[in-house]
Amino acid sequence: MNEQRRQILQMLAEGKITADEAERLISAVEREQPELPAAPRPKSRPRYLRVLVEDNSGTEPSRVNIRVPLQLLRAGVRLTSLVPPQALTRINTELDKSGVPIDLSELKPQQLEDLIDQLDEVTIDIEDADSKVQVFCE
Amino acid sequence: MIPQLVTVGYRPAGRHWRRLYIPVLPVALVASPLLLVAMAGGLVACHLFKVSPAGALRGLGQLLWALPGTRIEFQEGRTALLLSVR
Repeated sequence: MNEQRRQILQMLAEGKITADEAERLISAVEREQPELPAAPRPKSRPRYLRVLVEDNSGTEPSRVNIRVPLQLLRAGVRLTSLVPPQALTRINTELDKSGVPIDLSELKPQQLEDLIDQLDEVTIDIEDADSKVQVFCE
Repeated sequence: MIPQLVTVGYRPAGRHWRRLYIPVLPVALVASPLLLVAMAGGLVACHLFKVSPAGALRGLGQLLWALPGTRIEFQEGRTALLLSVR
């Protein structure tokens, strides 16, 4: 109950105003204070990662449409923690040989999960004359 | 929830769609003896590569549980391929 309405009811209880006057006053207060618009509903979190590729450069158009649950990406990321350390060492060596000095053992599953959590906001839209690539969450 | 139905569709050029509906649970039940053999093989592999069998099983379970909703479509001209997991 707001303060003005409480004061009106208080005056009615004290006999300072009649019931009709109290009703008119409450109506006037309600007209002055229109109901607040409903709070916006929280946006539901995306559940899927969608990849759309259209290519019309060849003789026949080709199209790829992939929808992957984000939960599946998370589960896949958790599986990376099972990669044996010796395999990681070999991967690191090969990456280093190829000129990509990345130490995969430094990449923690939690960091990858954080990365996937932030995918919600990612939208990639690449378009040229003949082809189009879209990556987004829905 | 584990996948219940896997749909594999193929449309050759100029032909109608051919769809194969695979009910996962009945197929898994029929193939359970093979799954047991595969599980034993997995345990041996875990031992060889020094991977925790419980962690591997949990990871595979999570992967399986997350599969429903996956849909992959390829189309090249009039040829198309579809894989859907529900």
